[in-house]
Amino acid sequence: MYDRNIAPALIKPDEIKIREPEKIVLENGIPIYVINAGEQDVIKIEIIFKAGASEHKNFLIAGATNELLDEGTKHHSAVEIAEEFEFYGAFLHAESTADWASVSLITLNKFLEKVFPLYHEIISEPVFPEQEIETFKIQNKQRLQVNNNKVDYVARKTFNQKLFGQLSPYGFYQAVEDYDKIDKNTLLNFHHANYLNGIFAIVVSGKVRESALKLISNFFGKTPLIKNTISTPGFQNGSMGGKYFMEKQGAVQSGLRIGRVLFNKAHPDYKGMSILNTILGGYFGSRLMSNIREDKGYTYGIGSALVSLQNTGYFFIATEVGVEVRDAALKEIYFEIKKLRGELIPAAELELVRNYLIGAFQRSIDGPFALADRLKSILTFNLGYEYFYEYIHSVHTISSEKIQNLAQKYLSTELLTEVKIG
Amino acid sequence: MISFEKFELRNGLKVIVNEDPSTPLAAMNILYKVGARDEDENKTGFAHLFEHLMFGGSVNIPNYDEPLQRAGGENNAFTNNDFTNYYLTLSAENLETAFWLESDRMLSLAFSEKSLDVQRNVVIEEFKQRYLNQPYGDVWLLLRPLAYKVHPYKWATIGKDISHIENAAIDDVKSFFSNYYRPENAILTLSGNVTVKQARELAEKWFEPITPGTPKGKNGNYAMEPVQKEKRILKVEKNVPASRIYKTYHCCSRMDKEFYATDLLSDVLSKGKSSRLYQSLVKEQKLFTEMNAYLMGDLDKSLFVFEGRLVNGVEMEQAEKAIDTEIAKIKNEKAGEKELKKSKQQLESGIVFSEINIANRALNLAYFEMLGNASDINSQVDFYNAVTGAEVQQVANDILREENCSVLYYQAGK
Repeated sequence: MYDRNIAPALIKPDEIKIREPEKIVLENGIPIYVINAGEQDVIKIEIIFKAGASEHKNFLIAGATNELLDEGTKHHSAVEIAEEFEFYGAFLHAESTADWASVSLITLNKFLEKVFPLYHEIISEPVFPEQEIETFKIQNKQRLQVNNNKVDYVARKTFNQKLFGQLSPYGFYQAVEDYDKIDKNTLLNFHHANYLNGIFAIVVSGKVRESALKLISNFFGKTPLIKNTISTPGFQNGSMGGKYFMEKQGAVQSGLRIGRVLFNKAHPDYKGMSILNTILGGYFGSRLMSNIREDKGYTYGIGSALVSLQNTGYFFIATEVGVEVRDAALKEIYFEIKKLRGELIPAAELELVRNYLIGAFQRSIDGPFALADRLKSILTFNLGYEYFYEYIHSVHTISSEKIQNLAQKYLSTELLTEVKIG
Repeated sequence: MISFEKFELRNGLKVIVNEDPSTPLAAMNILYKVGARDEDENKTGFAHLFEHLMFGGSVNIPNYDEPLQRAGGENNAFTNNDFTNYYLTLSAENLETAFWLESDRMLSLAFSEKSLDVQRNVVIEEFKQRYLNQPYGDVWLLLRPLAYKVHPYKWATIGKDISHIENAAIDDVKSFFSNYYRPENAILTLSGNVTVKQARELAEKWFEPITPGTPKGKNGNYAMEPVQKEKRILKVEKNVPASRIYKTYHCCSRMDKEFYATDLLSDVLSKGKSSRLYQSLVKEQKLFTEMNAYLMGDLDKSLFVFEGRLVNGVEMEQAEKAIDTEIAKIKNEKAGEKELKKSKQQLESGIVFSEINIANRALNLAYFEMLGNASDINSQVDFYNAVTGAEVQQVANDILREENCSVLYYQAGK
């Protein structure tokens, strides 16, 4: 018989080996990264463009261009495009951030040849019809109006504005009337300058056959490339400190955000800070969750995170708490930050976090699409796979003293910006 | 296509294993056949509160999460009206830790008062965060009691009212556990780097000693919803930036054979930008910013829902009339071959993509076993492909009738 009080012995997982992509360079210099993995007969092709918000003085232009690519081309109307992709059960996914834009095609391999020409067409020949721009504006204005009624959205917006300012693409948030400043010609010009000429890389994952690579090369490998270099990431400053409160009538919870400008993953202290962040608020057993949710019951959830941007980064804690326990929750948040600075993390807790992070890393590279996301996370920072092995090494070896040093170095309360909404 | 093997332990626990040596991970899923429909009408929200208490320590293990995280694992759970589901992933070497943790909480909970106190508060904050403090968050709190008069689907999983959660007592927790959290009322599935042999040994070691219970709950005897005889209307005015309309119709359950035709009906109407409702109501007529039609897919007789977000300035009557015109079209004329084929291919593709992730695979196997037979998971595409345009038209005529409709006008106001 066995004793249910005793946990089964833990076995250290084998050393992690990350499947690295094969790199191919097209005639015109565009790099393709191929991750051939997985059992299902599916494929995802993602093209990354240097076409983020920062590429235009009106920060809304990049997002509008990206979202409207599939709303009409020289040869097909919006409905014809939707009809064609949907008929084959293929998905298009377009996204844009402050620094980058991307367009992905996700499909069963058996329909790849059917849908690929149209995928190329929406990227190379969109025409941004007036009436589709109108629909876009109506939809986005309403979405924004709804978001402006959510305490977590307003807290995020206010926090980022305070950190980076409205003049930075990292701090900019649109007002409803800003959508009126979008017009067809600006979109056409932005597309021309930043899409076909702005391909940074192509990431292909899933069951990748030679025929798929040939398609990509035939359609994207010939056009001359003008702009595919990126500047080395820098470390842009932002403002520090300050407490901001905005009341929202009728709110039963407040959105809270506390944090500061920091740096991105290219910085030498990033890996250590990301381990520290896990301890504080990066997993279910974190100190913030254990204290503020699991002991006090002040919230449904609380977490913290590090965000890497191309030229900077930031750290934040976010939660929604009952209005009546807002101040009590804030007190506990600061208590946990001070504790990280004042006390060494106990060996047992650090051991748990090491194991948790190794497991989390294993999950983050499981399957072709997860591997592609990992690759993307380093590609735009000019980092190679040694970055991941160094990270794993840090997880195994970082000391309690080092973590306390980092907390003392970066988490002084007077440098933290605090936002309360509701 | 998901390959699997199935066996049953002596205490009635069903175990299903999907071997996938291509991953270093393993996923475990335990589905308990109990949801909000099993609750007492005066103690709603309990199945979900109970889910939170499943993390408050079991009879031999004071804390569930810590040992799992120490083993590099991650877990979560969800509750709906029909069932409660727990899932985790971890590296396959440490799969026994998952068996140890999950079997101990099936054996018995610690029933800690402190955990009940804290989780009551956590769930009340969840109630506020998701249902009260969001624009439109209370839609389903209004719609359910409008569409259902008798069946327990008339309350939401979170509960009817915060007071029900506040009043939950430890005795309620104990009886709920002994009524529903028994091996014969659960399905255990595994996916990933695990063999059937290993799964069988571990299941026999950790789960087989758990004694079966004598379920005393509703046990499938839910109050039948009477046939609706006239259209119901609820108008509310709320402080939101734009108006919405919700039209619900009683329809078949997930178990009925018409499910597949009904699901296709919703896809023909609103899946994707090329769908009928999006093209006509959003793009051409510009009445809505978004328009969706979907099925709840419950285990008892369910709901078919239209949800429209009105363009500012559009009148509710005009919006509803436009939806009704689309409904009349699909009732009067069968769906075209091409649009039906499109919906079928979309479904097939969605199914393949849902099978990439091991945790999804484990959940889907448990779900299909709950419906009746895990092997139906591999027949879904055939079930959809067998549906004809005439059948889709038939379900449209059966369901989308004025007297079967409950409509919520959610007006933007002050």
